[in-house]
Amino acid sequence: MDELTRLEKTTEVFVGPEGLEAPAKTFVPGPYYVAIDEVIPELGNIPEEVAGDKKSFKSWIPDVDRRDFMRLFSASAMFGAASCVRRPEEKAIPYVNQPIDHVPGVAVHYATTCNECAAGCGVIVKTREGRPVKLEGSARHPLSQGGMCALGQASIQGLYHPERQKTPLIRYGKRQDPADWSSVYQKIAEKVGDSTKIGILTGGSTGFQQQFFKAVLKKLGASENNLYTWESNSLYTAIGKAHELAFGQEGLPRIEFRKTNLVVSLGSDFLELGTSPTFHAKTFTKALSYINGKMGQLVQFEATYSLTGTKASKRVVIPPGYEFTVALLLLRSLLAAEGVRGEARDKEQAKQILAQVEGELAVAEKALSFSRHDFDALAKDMLAQNAVILAGSSASFDENSTKLQLVTILLNLLTGAYGSSLLFDRGWMTQPVKIGDMERFLTEAENLDVLFVIDTNPIFSCPPSWGVKEKLEKVKTVVSVQAFPNEVDDLAKFSLPGYHYLEAWGDEQPFAGFWSLRQPAVRATTDCRQAEDVLLWVLAHLNKPFGFPDYRAYLEEQYKSVFKQTGMQADYKKFYKAILRQGFVIKLDKRTQAPLAVIATHVSYKAPTPGLKLLSPLDHRLQDGRGAHLPVLQDIGDGMTTIAWDSWLAIHPDTATKLHIKRNQLVELTTEAGTIKVAAFPLPGIHPDALIVPRGNGHKGGSKISGGVGVDPLVVYPKAKDELSASPKTSDISVKITPTNEWYRLAAMQKHNDIANRTDIVKKITLSEAASNLKKQQNLDVVPDLYPKLEDSIYRWGLSIDLNRCNGCGACMVACAIENNVVQAGREQIIMGREMHWIRLDRYFFGDVNNPDVTFQPVMCQHCNHAPCEPVCPVFATSHDPEGLNAMTYNRCVGTRYCANACPYKVRRFNWWHHKWGEIGERLQDRNLRALNPDVTVRTKGVMEKCSFCVGRLRDAKHTAKEQKRYVFDGEVQTACQQTCPSDAISFGNLNKATSKVSAERASHRAYLLLGGEPEHGHYGLKTLPNVSYLAEVKHTLKEAGSHSGQHEEKNAHHPG
Amino acid sequence: MRFLHPTRLLLVCTIACITTNAFARGWWVWSPGKDVEDIGYAPDQEINFSHKLHAGDRKIPCEYCHSSARRSITAGIPPTNTCMGCHRFVHTEAEPIKYLTEKFNKNEPMKWTKVHDLPDFVRFSHKVHVLAKIECQKCHGEVEKMEKLEQRAPLLMGWCVECHDHKVTKTLADGSKVEHPQAPVTCATCHY
Repeated sequence: MDELTRLEKTTEVFVGPEGLEAPAKTFVPGPYYVAIDEVIPELGNIPEEVAGDKKSFKSWIPDVDRRDFMRLFSASAMFGAASCVRRPEEKAIPYVNQPIDHVPGVAVHYATTCNECAAGCGVIVKTREGRPVKLEGSARHPLSQGGMCALGQASIQGLYHPERQKTPLIRYGKRQDPADWSSVYQKIAEKVGDSTKIGILTGGSTGFQQQFFKAVLKKLGASENNLYTWESNSLYTAIGKAHELAFGQEGLPRIEFRKTNLVVSLGSDFLELGTSPTFHAKTFTKALSYINGKMGQLVQFEATYSLTGTKASKRVVIPPGYEFTVALLLLRSLLAAEGVRGEARDKEQAKQILAQVEGELAVAEKALSFSRHDFDALAKDMLAQNAVILAGSSASFDENSTKLQLVTILLNLLTGAYGSSLLFDRGWMTQPVKIGDMERFLTEAENLDVLFVIDTNPIFSCPPSWGVKEKLEKVKTVVSVQAFPNEVDDLAKFSLPGYHYLEAWGDEQPFAGFWSLRQPAVRATTDCRQAEDVLLWVLAHLNKPFGFPDYRAYLEEQYKSVFKQTGMQADYKKFYKAILRQGFVIKLDKRTQAPLAVIATHVSYKAPTPGLKLLSPLDHRLQDGRGAHLPVLQDIGDGMTTIAWDSWLAIHPDTATKLHIKRNQLVELTTEAGTIKVAAFPLPGIHPDALIVPRGNGHKGGSKISGGVGVDPLVVYPKAKDELSASPKTSDISVKITPTNEWYRLAAMQKHNDIANRTDIVKKITLSEAASNLKKQQNLDVVPDLYPKLEDSIYRWGLSIDLNRCNGCGACMVACAIENNVVQAGREQIIMGREMHWIRLDRYFFGDVNNPDVTFQPVMCQHCNHAPCEPVCPVFATSHDPEGLNAMTYNRCVGTRYCANACPYKVRRFNWWHHKWGEIGERLQDRNLRALNPDVTVRTKGVMEKCSFCVGRLRDAKHTAKEQKRYVFDGEVQTACQQTCPSDAISFGNLNKATSKVSAERASHRAYLLLGGEPEHGHYGLKTLPNVSYLAEVKHTLKEAGSHSGQHEEKNAHHPG
Repeated sequence: MRFLHPTRLLLVCTIACITTNAFARGWWVWSPGKDVEDIGYAPDQEINFSHKLHAGDRKIPCEYCHSSARRSITAGIPPTNTCMGCHRFVHTEAEPIKYLTEKFNKNEPMKWTKVHDLPDFVRFSHKVHVLAKIECQKCHGEVEKMEKLEQRAPLLMGWCVECHDHKVTKTLADGSKVEHPQAPVTCATCHY
């Protein structure tokens, strides 16, 4: 720690005060920047006296000075060496009864459905010897289409989480005693007794689960209305409520991106936090990203900088809370435009709404940089390109959210999106939650005798001002059944361990007429029970038999109705077996979309008040906090800010300058509801009035992983709700902001490496340039050099990354960590630049700080053919493989770290610690031994590691090919990052085969090599000849380079460092 | 300066360790033959299973019991129910079989001590070697003649590479002949 402090205090470590001929650290404005101090240096300068503030570190490292360290080190090395004289004796324990068809060492796969959010993506679980080791998106499942988000990928860590409750606990005052299940059932049954005031509070689900809960309530004599559902992504309720009001029909429209060429997003982060993010990312990329000289458009209006916003062809920064204003202005322009679609009645309503809001709208319009002329032009474009308008997100969830959705419905009717790109009449999305349930729950909770809280955590994910906790305390008996213990367990009388979704039976119905089944992939890892079965047992103890031995039997019975609906000819048993195998069944429902009801009466408008506003979007990894206990999610860091293990306040650089707030300075945000203290992070591209603190972190206690990490912004939200859907307001509130004199270092991973203003890192071209060069081919491998020729081989593995598609979601980082047993480094290590990610996501800004373009670039080992790391290794631990791999032999490595120094891409990771594989929690890096992939060696302290191109998967594929006497075909082997990518940005294959996809992409005119110079001008850069190539990002228009510093340009020219 | 200062104590311990360690290490590293290679390593097992009787005298094929050898990375130690397939009827009164039956009835697995134990950083697949028609005996020795199973081959990298690097001649399309190893010898073949 002292070392770090000393290094940071010395601002010019590598160059003396006078500098060398070309000082490495002097800042010359380049086209790209990664951290705010490159454009506004004073925002990044921490005062020297606080730069090494030890208090800001929550450290487990004892204070050991350098000499003590050396002594201890040598001693421990000796003890270590002395203890491994003989090879350990190992036991081989076979099965007693080996299951038929099971071959030890060969993976078995199960199809199931993810339960981390309400979307319900299909998952293939890879199990080895009965243990799930990796999750992959099901390629045939229409929702996941092979992809999977970061949260879904990480959920396997939840299964093996050592902090999962081991036994049921019963609370006596402050004490909690373990109990066995039968006594728990008996006691709950006693509590329930003859009471009919029984309630169930559960998370959003679209399958038969809610129907089951209602049936149980009925059996208990309680009202079916005592089932309350809660989902913190209020987009479901807002869109659902708006469609209910507009058409009188349930559900949400399904988005079909293929039918449109222009998406207009009003603050919607549909690629990350929409109603079905992976499905949207997959279909959006397929339909609208660059292909063969064509590219769709995304116009994004937003106050934050969402990951979806980075993919926008035109991004308009609007003040917080102006999404509704923009929608109305768009409606005005659209009505006036030629060729507007929709029925006369709809237009009449639109006119009526505009007449209602005219006066206020004129006031609000002035705050926008987008003029009436621009809106008119956009409206014209929208009609020409069959635009679809998507609105609303957790970042803009205020009292107008449902009204915004109502106006969006009108907009979509006027562009004719309903029926083509928005499907509300066939296969519409089902509503996972009942609208207004939380409010209803809060009024009715006091009357309940027994409340079952099942897999939901409203205490944390609903603003505390709503008083969920206080209401729960008033319920006589709370029974909490959770897959992972949370805040509800802290007050529940019965705290019961529930099934993780990989152990459970269940189902989802994401679209009407599309059922996705959930089946266990492993037997319960602790003494837990399925929540539904707990209810059945309680019923049994009450002598009110339900008629089914368990939920599995209930589900199998319910699917008989599905079987009838699908009208299949086979017998039911075969049908059920087939869906268990495949994971889903489709027979999409159809209905006639009702005509638009009178909605004008619901739409009222008031111009938003000016001033600083706080926004709290869901975190794209942790969502509402349900992923906070998964170390891998905390470790990959946020996409936009690259901050790991923390919460932050994103603030516009100009606002920060005005308020004298610098990066890492703690600021206080105060409202009448409360105060939070959070470190500031100046983020270009957001609106100057926007203060963004994401949700997800800020758990007080409980898990050792999430406890004490970050702050919970919901604390400062006073009780307010969306007027129509009654969901809590979680954005656009006025706050008082006070900078303090305290500092707290945020673990931002950018910039850990200096890009030295090179221009061959990220490349961009315009669409017209891309289209005109469509046929042009190039050979990136022809480079004048002195190296010997590459060895001949059938395979030369290569990887290609399309920068146009990557949206920085981080799923690849999680997939890589799970596949390759990569450890999680933790905040302190990340601050020291010791993150362990084999694949990292670099984020580059380009252009003016007010609205820069952002490019995400996944960087893994580039597997150079002329690798700088190879010749420097004194022990041949890293060597070149004729198949193009830069192989790493862990057992040879002695930890000189020469290779990491030589690597120009900074992708090599060194194990500074011996990570404990037995448990999570003692240190943040520790992982559960059982969660390891048995096909990849676990590295120990003192060993270098890096991306291996998933060589284990390669080996498997080659063995299979050999068995079948053929070569590996294109697409047969997928790397973990490629497999999971929700936007298909990564392709992998054999570069020695001209017909492979990756060869075609490498030969494309868009391809370039990282640090490969500009071959077209005869500059070959580092000539490392990587086997990884990138495809340049295609933009409709390029922002002007060099203008990014705006008014600060002059200062920069003279400001070193 | 106290003599029993912790750092001083540490230093003494360290020196003591260096001596013992140097001795032990020297023995391990430089002692010739079987101590390094583990040739002849034959640990005692729970029951004295005789490969000679089963594979030699009774001529049961290797893959009858080690059935995953041709399908998986691991050859697979047979589950108890494979044993019970015959021993429900054969030699049921013998001591080892009684022990086995008891374990089987109690649903307890056998705990064998690994004889051929590769380090954890080596990825060896039985499947490809069986597919390449390498006889089991090439690595495991004449198992069918062993009363008690023992390690016959050193299983060290040099020994693996010796066979992998055996040169075979290949005729190219243009008629020229090249020599190349019969199996891959790159690091990533086994280490990842």
